[in-house]
Amino acid sequence: MQLFTNDTIDIPALPKYEVVELYKPHSNYWKIIVINLLIFLGIIGIGAIVLTLTLVEYRAEAKFIIGIYSALTLILFLFFRLSFKNRGYAFRAHDVMCKSGIIVESTTIVPLNRIQHIELNQGVFSRMYQLGTLQIFTAGGQTGHIRISGIPIDEAKSLRDMILKKLDLTENQITKNAE
Amino acid sequence: MAYDFSKPQRQSAFGIIIMAAHTVVKLGKAFGVLIILAFVKTPSNYLAYMVLGIGLIILLSFVFAYLWYINFTFFLDQTKQEFVVNKGIFNRDQVTIPFNKIQQVNINQSILQKIIGVYGLKIDTAGSNGEEVSIKAIDEASAYNLKEHLLNKKAFNVDDTLVEQIHNQIKQTPFLRISSLTLLKVGLTSNYGRSLLSIVAFLYGIYELRHLVDSFKIDKGEIQSTLSSMVSIATFIILIAAILILLLVINLVRTFYKYFELEITKHEHSLLISFGLIAKKTTLVSPNKVQISKYSQNYFQKKLNILNMSLKQAHFGESKKGHEMQGNTIDIPGCNLKEKNELLKMILGQQPLNGKTFVPNWRFLNLPIFFKIVFPVAVFLIVGFNVPEVKSFFGLAIPYSVIGILMIYISYRKHRIAVSQYFIIKSSGIWDISKEIVSPNKIQAITTFQYPWHKSIDVGHLCLHTAAGKIHFKYGNYTEIKLLVNYWLYQVESGNEDWM
Repeated sequence: MQLFTNDTIDIPALPKYEVVELYKPHSNYWKIIVINLLIFLGIIGIGAIVLTLTLVEYRAEAKFIIGIYSALTLILFLFFRLSFKNRGYAFRAHDVMCKSGIIVESTTIVPLNRIQHIELNQGVFSRMYQLGTLQIFTAGGQTGHIRISGIPIDEAKSLRDMILKKLDLTENQITKNAE
Repeated sequence: MAYDFSKPQRQSAFGIIIMAAHTVVKLGKAFGVLIILAFVKTPSNYLAYMVLGIGLIILLSFVFAYLWYINFTFFLDQTKQEFVVNKGIFNRDQVTIPFNKIQQVNINQSILQKIIGVYGLKIDTAGSNGEEVSIKAIDEASAYNLKEHLLNKKAFNVDDTLVEQIHNQIKQTPFLRISSLTLLKVGLTSNYGRSLLSIVAFLYGIYELRHLVDSFKIDKGEIQSTLSSMVSIATFIILIAAILILLLVINLVRTFYKYFELEITKHEHSLLISFGLIAKKTTLVSPNKVQISKYSQNYFQKKLNILNMSLKQAHFGESKKGHEMQGNTIDIPGCNLKEKNELLKMILGQQPLNGKTFVPNWRFLNLPIFFKIVFPVAVFLIVGFNVPEVKSFFGLAIPYSVIGILMIYISYRKHRIAVSQYFIIKSSGIWDISKEIVSPNKIQAITTFQYPWHKSIDVGHLCLHTAAGKIHFKYGNYTEIKLLVNYWLYQVESGNEDWM
């Protein structure tokens, strides 16, 4: 048995999560967001055009529809830009953290020894820009998971491997302790 | 025959059929009504197009299923001790599951799979909301072989050994037994909300029935006159009294039906809880699997010295569709203070200390008062000034506001979080005051957030994610919250204590 110590913990001296320098998503990720947004807006736009062309009664409201459409475009771009600006992630020796939010800035921290599994996703456009999305799941359900988008794929892969290696290490330690 | 799963491999080619059928059934379920409608409504000369369209959809399903099959490979990585699945038709997804995170491997067979002679294999990891891996078509021998491979790396399965122990054990004297008298007390004092809902649903059902009668025009006059005379005879007070009595009766019946003869027996590493009037239910709870222990009490229950306890366990197999698996929360109604303390001690290992208590900022009151009092009352007044019929009810706004504000104030006063070295105790409630107890090592993830306009006054929010749900602490001092988070992270990360 190890020597048992029970020192008082100096809580203010513990490592602080709030001062950790966060990595930003890759600048190409903004391009992917823009592409996705344009596709989305394009579909809506085509739908609106078809609607106004086929239904005569809507034609009089064309100005109104254009107004709403441009407002939607503006708001969406603003929100996604804010969300992109607010994103950040960091890996510490014992945990992963991720900051996100449009208005409310929220930070989620997952200790490495609570990770259930990891997913690395790459969409069609992400593949074009060599980016990936790393998802880290815990047993905390819907909200207790971290999703980091816009990491260069090589970095994402090595991060994944690093975490998996860490997981193995902690598991081994637990089994050793159990023995 | 040796089964080698170390190389990436595809599943059985029958998977194409299964997947295609799956897609067609799914589409059929989603658009079934539309398709039938279209069949009925379209003129017969277009019928050929309809059939063609459906044929095309089925063909497309097969094409998708084929692509899915081609891109779906799995293998066991023995060196890393992982199960790896590559999948995705347009996206390329890789799912990696370490063996020791696998909770369950289910092998099952749907009707179609039975006809073709293949099996489905599904891997559950604890509560993750990501894609659970499921292999749609695999032959029996490979399925069981794979299952063995996936599970034999795990430490012994606690549940199985425990169940065996139970079978072997001689009947023990229960350490806690809820008497009928206690159940009576519980039935009279709890769950008003739920029973009220069921009454509302019942009344609504009757109302709907009347509509049905209306639409069928059967003795319309007679039934309507009886109904209206019933309403006119029954004075308001009698109606209220009847509803109250009905409420109590429903409560009593439900409580007795569900919790009759509740007994808790202590076993070596677990608690055996059995209850039920007609269907006797027996559940085995191992204390270290309980994530959140909760107890609640209202004013009446305090006078009668009873508490309702519930033990929340990790919900496994939480499906992507959002509905959680039921039956992972075990309710123990009607323990007294001593029994509660005993139970808590058994589950948590020691009597939880209250520790340092943190209180929310008064801004906690702002949003609820605005959205639940100011806003509805304003709407009510605006409507009232325009509709003369409503004007006579203006007086109601005053008691509504007073009671509402009082309730919100109570919820603010009861919103507390107490932190000690081994426990986090969150209390909340208005009428039923509840306390939820978690040990820091049950924390899965922590989220902190703050509105930008609260930055200057240092107010923020905290959410602790556990495998059995979230614990919120709102409008706390953000500096203190950050300290707590760092402390809990230290506790979780420095120790190797497992969460179950």
